[in-house]
Amino acid sequence: MSETLLSVTNLDAAVEGFQVTYDVDFAVERGKAVGYVGRNGAGKTTTFRSVMGLADILGGSIRFKGTELTDLRPEQIPKHGIGYQPEDRKLFTGMTIDENFRMPIWTLGDERGIDDEDAAVEDVYDIFEELSERRQAQVENLSGGQAKMVSIGRALALKPDLLILDEPLEGLAPIIVERLKEYIEEINDRGIAVLIAESNVQHVPEMVDELYVVERGEIFDSGDPMEVSQKRDVQELMQGSGQE
Amino acid sequence: MVTSSIALLEANSVLLQSGIIEGLQNLLQPDTFIVQTINGIRFGFILFLIAAGLTVILGILDVLNLAHGELYALGAYVAASVGGFLVGEGTAAIMAPPSSFDPVTSFAFVGVLILAALISALILVPIGVVMETVFIRPIYERDQVYQLVLTFALLLIIANMIEFIWGSNPQKLDLSTKTAVNDIPTFELLGLSGVPSIVTLIMVVSLVVGVGLFYFFSKTKTGRIIRATAIDREMATALGVSPDRTFTLVFALGAFLAGFGGAMELVRTAANPGMGESALVLSFVVIVVGGLGSLRGAVVGALVIGVLQNWMTVVEPSLESAAPFAVMVIVLLVKPEGLFGTWGERT
Repeated sequence: MSETLLSVTNLDAAVEGFQVTYDVDFAVERGKAVGYVGRNGAGKTTTFRSVMGLADILGGSIRFKGTELTDLRPEQIPKHGIGYQPEDRKLFTGMTIDENFRMPIWTLGDERGIDDEDAAVEDVYDIFEELSERRQAQVENLSGGQAKMVSIGRALALKPDLLILDEPLEGLAPIIVERLKEYIEEINDRGIAVLIAESNVQHVPEMVDELYVVERGEIFDSGDPMEVSQKRDVQELMQGSGQE
Repeated sequence: MVTSSIALLEANSVLLQSGIIEGLQNLLQPDTFIVQTINGIRFGFILFLIAAGLTVILGILDVLNLAHGELYALGAYVAASVGGFLVGEGTAAIMAPPSSFDPVTSFAFVGVLILAALISALILVPIGVVMETVFIRPIYERDQVYQLVLTFALLLIIANMIEFIWGSNPQKLDLSTKTAVNDIPTFELLGLSGVPSIVTLIMVVSLVVGVGLFYFFSKTKTGRIIRATAIDREMATALGVSPDRTFTLVFALGAFLAGFGGAMELVRTAANPGMGESALVLSFVVIVVGGLGSLRGAVVGALVIGVLQNWMTVVEPSLESAAPFAVMVIVLLVKPEGLFGTWGERT
């Protein structure tokens, strides 16, 4: 029987005083991959930031493994097993790839039961092998794709149960997109649940088990990824949102 | 052509009348130049200790702490009391100043003196913690004007507390303490007289603290977590960093550095009521010159300002106070962001 990891119920969230999401409901089960697509400004990032405690929550509930996250301070959330790759990477510049990977372990490694820092970091390099040779490179010298990989890798360092990826494929060359998709699938194959936001519906259905479409802060449709993405109203909605 | 020649002659005449050229000639005498430069470097190191705390707090907390100079003064006053207790001539002192140079006794005495400075700086740590948690934390989200007003109030409160506790008379260590340090040969061994060993002591200890500070921020986990928080507070939070704990730690570190700077300066001179204000003003010049929030900038800015000000004491003492500000104005006009970048990305 599947276990619900993340359960978002009736979420109303705001950015700088303006409500952005309305009664949002969705769930992520352990080990599953869930897509969360919508046009730019639809409320994807605000929803993800709400899960991480970084948005103003006006109402609703966000439960992760039975813990109500809205009661916690933002810094208390990752230790419950959620890794987060923000939309704009937000790497720690002036530091190396290795330092970026180790940063979450330095802050929460003990609480996550990681007693071998080097082994935990090697697990990340094991997925992103191409970063392994550049581990001492300063992150500001990386390509856009590599920077995305570092941002995802950093979110993986604490061995999360759920990995939240906010537009991981956005703005990347097609060949890099394909590589990143493989990496994300590999992460999911390792039993880590993945929640992926994208404004381009094209890449997501083949990667996920369930798809949510969000529009103007509300869930527009949800269900089987292939079925939902083929619906006419979804396709019309997503037109002009960056589809190639 | 003729006009510019006349202007040059006029400028030269002004310089001659004001004695600047004569002062420059004096400065360029090798002995004077070396002594003044070394003294300037010593002053630069002290300025760095104060400015480092100021710039770290500004870079990470985004707070310009006007009370920072008073923490430096408080460090000097506390050191006067702690030093008097540890190395004074009284019977309760751990170690009395040796009457003449003896390698073992003299260096042991210097060690106790440094211990006194460290204890004094550590006493300031809880004061910094209280300042941050009780007074500054509630107004992080408010306009910076509130922070300036509040830290200015703290400046006045600390200055008044100093006067209340120690009175308005300058406080200093026993003369025999200074003599005991100066009896240790340092620059004399290099054939250079005129630089007392107290200057050497301040330079060496400040250098060690400075190197330790860079090591802390570039090599230790806590230091790099602080840098990460400075670069992106929200992302650091999303990785489990507690901003409250980090901010308190940073403020405590700033108080420690300022207090240590004051304590080390006390070895050379007396703690006096105005020392906090002048230190704050010069530290502000240092961090503007170096780059607001840059630790590397603070090093370079402090050395530039320290050396320049000491040179000006020979070239033209009446311009001693104006010279650092002239440098600041030039930097602001030519490179408004300062000589180095902002805090966090590079130590």
